[in-house]
Parts: sequence; structure tokens; C-alpha cells
Amino acid sequence: MAKTVLITDDTAFMRMTLRNVIEKNGYDVVGEAGDGEEAVSLYQELKPDMVTMDITMPKMDGITAIKEIMKIDPQAKIIVCSAMGQKPMVIEALSAGAKDFLVKPFDAERVVESLRKIGS
Amino acid sequence: MNEVKLDFLKELANIGTGHATTALSQMLSGRLFQLVVPDAQMLPFSQAAEYVGGSEQVVVGIFVVVSGDVKGHMAFLLPLDSALVLLRLLIGDDSGEIDDLARSALQELGNIMITSYLNALSKMTDLLMAPSVPGVAVDMAGAVWESVLAGAQVTNEVTVIRTEFFADGESIEGNIIFLPDDDDFEKIARLLGLEDV
Amino acid sequence: MTEVFVNMGQISSFKTQGILTTVGLGSCIGVTMYDAVAKVGVMGHIFLPKSRAKDSSAPPGKYADTGIPAMIDEAVKLGARKSRLQAKMAGGANLFPNLSANSTSIGQQNIEAVTGHLDKHGIAIIGKDVAGGHGRKMRFFVDSGIVTVTAIGKEAVEI
Repeated sequence: MAKTVLITDDTAFMRMTLRNVIEKNGYDVVGEAGDGEEAVSLYQELKPDMVTMDITMPKMDGITAIKEIMKIDPQAKIIVCSAMGQKPMVIEALSAGAKDFLVKPFDAERVVESLRKIGS
Repeated sequence: MNEVKLDFLKELANIGTGHATTALSQMLSGRLFQLVVPDAQMLPFSQAAEYVGGSEQVVVGIFVVVSGDVKGHMAFLLPLDSALVLLRLLIGDDSGEIDDLARSALQELGNIMITSYLNALSKMTDLLMAPSVPGVAVDMAGAVWESVLAGAQVTNEVTVIRTEFFADGESIEGNIIFLPDDDDFEKIARLLGLEDV
Repeated sequence: MTEVFVNMGQISSFKTQGILTTVGLGSCIGVTMYDAVAKVGVMGHIFLPKSRAKDSSAPPGKYADTGIPAMIDEAVKLGARKSRLQAKMAGGANLFPNLSANSTSIGQQNIEAVTGHLDKHGIAIIGKDVAGGHGRKMRFFVDSGIVTVTAIGKEAVEI
């Protein structure tokens, strides 16, 4: 059975781009969240194998969402996909529990590489 | 206009836009790409709107608030026809209309350009510069421009970095407007070894 | 007929005839004052509500608090009577709503400031097209007192 992924990004364009890449590579996108709050509630509802998480979002930012999801499921596999590549941010995300940090724009191969590595 | 200050800005412009361009070219993967050396200017307030292409020309404006160790604002402005070229290359849309998906693509484009620029500065200065969720407006240049200036509470001079890109034989113009709060501009300058700027 | 463009922070005027135009009103307010008897018209393009100490060399028309009195002075100099002046306003839009989600937008602050200062000087506001999320262009025909407002993709309206 294909591994399931929850995509989180505040722009429809990025969610669409990620969905295309992820689905083309044999994964199943089971949900899309437009902000951190939605990501947390969809995580509880859908229990995806992996999550992609943006950082800069309205309502609840990515770092907070990572923390909330890790509280619910300490084994959660979260991959950050954000334009914000500054060191303090990367450190914060990884300390909060993210397993990888991809800086936008990323190429498809890098995304797939991360999914394969984290998913196994 | 301070010579030293202008040179410093040009240096920042080069570094920042270099990163932003790399990001842009990655988004348009597979396209031929070229950057024309960016032109940094410090414009008096009153001249700013004309510089970006004339008050009535329709532009796309992406505007963020910057927080962290450096506070201020940043904007990315491009003439509508440049935005339409980018949309065609990014999402294959050549309808010439800006629907929700197109808006979303432009928002993301602006977000990546602005954040890449800040990432470059951050790396050089070790200062955190975090952009907010961007706002997008498609409207008359004068209106977008003054909304950016008012939002940033600009007093007098504005730093505008005009860049020109080429993709697939088409020319794309973009303007990066960097508006750090006064004290923070000095902070950056000092960290990069420039006294008396 | 001569048309003069009034940019951000400027004030211009005509007596008898002429067209005063301001383009690209975003959060700014385009204000017109007209004495229909003396046929004196003044237009201002106000940027922010209150003048700031660190911008002491700014033209008075940049801020509502200094701009409204400056416009009245200019009108009177051309032969208008303050008691006959009537005002119209356009602009004060919020083009980037998500950036001021937790506070009053600059556009709204400008609307309140300009309205307040006009009220304080006893000048009636007889027409307006303010707020919303789009930019505006305002044209003031001094021979007739007619003011039109246009937005992209919309027909010009008279206010």
C-alpha cells in the first residue's frame, strides 16, 4: 500500500506543485492543509504516514504545528518545505521534531529523496 | 546621497538578488536564464512611483513585514506584463487573467524571491530576518507603491533594486524594495564592516 | 484645458478652469476643496494622518494635520471664502489586508484623520469614494466642480 502524505502550505499553487511531485512518485496525498491549525486537525483525522510542512503561514505557523503534532504523535514524520532557510529557523524546526528541512524552491528529486529516506 | 551608503546597497543588491535569481530559475526549471546586474537606487520618496513604471501602469505587488533581529518591510513589484510571462512559464497559463491559482502562484513567487533575498542577508550577518505571510495586490503602480510606503511608514528615501531577468527569450522586470527600520539598517551596515553609513 | 497631476504629498490649485488629477490612490486620500462661487479648486494627496518629527522638511500636503489647513490657505489665496468651501474625498483603501489584520489599516486611519480635520474646519464633505481594496484615480474639473473617480476595470463614477 502506498505511503500517505499530508501536504501543508498556505498557497494553493505550492500545494498543487507538491501534490504533483508526490503523487507521480508513488505516494498518496490524503489531505491538504492551508495553515498550521488545519494541519494539526487533519493529522489527527487522517493519520498520514508523513507530513510536509511550510513555516510561514497564517493562523498557526509551521513550528508551532510541528510541536502540536509531535505532542499527539511523538513518532510523526514531518518534512519542512519552506522558503525560510535561515539557520536559527532550521535549528528550531529540527529541535521541534521535524525530520528534514527543504528550502524552497526545491527540485522534485530532493523531495522524493527526503520522502524515501524519512518514510522507511 | 551618500556614496558609501549607495555602494553598500549595491553590494547587498548583488548578493541578495543573486540568491533570489537562483531561486527563480529553479522554479522555472529547464528554462534558459540570465541575470542582468541589478541596479540599486536610493530614491527620494516623491520619485519612487514613477521609477517603478509610472503611476497608472498595472503592477503586481507582493508585500511582507519583516521581523526578528531586523525589523521592517520588503516588497517585490513587477509590471503586469512581466507577471503574465512568469505565470505562463510557471503554470502554463497564458489567458492573461489573474485568477485564484495565478494569484497564488504570484504570492509564492514573491515569497520565494523576498525570502531568498533575506536568507542571503541573514547568512552574511547572522541576523534573523523572518518574513510574514505575503500580501498580494494587482493594481495601479501608484496605489500599490504608496500602500507599501505607508505600511512601512517610510520617511524619505527608498531603496529600490531593479532587476531584469530573461527566460525563454522574454524579458521580465522586477523591483525589490528593501525597507528596514532605520536603526536596523545601521545594524546591518555595521555588521558588514561599514561604519558611518 | 490644462491638467496638472498632484503626486503624493503635493497640493495644487486652479481658479476658473483646469483639471486636477491624482493617480494611484492606494491608502492615501485624494482631497478636493471647491468654492463654487469663486470657482476656486484645490486638490491634495495625503499620505499619512499625522506629521512626524523626523520628517520636518516634508511638504505640508503629505500629512492630514498639516495638509488640510495648507489646502484651505491655498484656496483662500486664490480668492475662495473658507465658509463656502466644500470637500470631496477618494482613497483610503487597504490593498494588503492581511498585513494589518490586528490593527486599523493606514487607509482607514487616513479616512478618519482627513474627515476629522475637515470637520474641525467646518468644511462639509459632499462626496466620497473611500475604503475597499482597490486603487483609485481622481479627477477634479475646476470649471464645473465635478469630481470623478476611476478604478481599474471599472467605469468612472462621479462623487
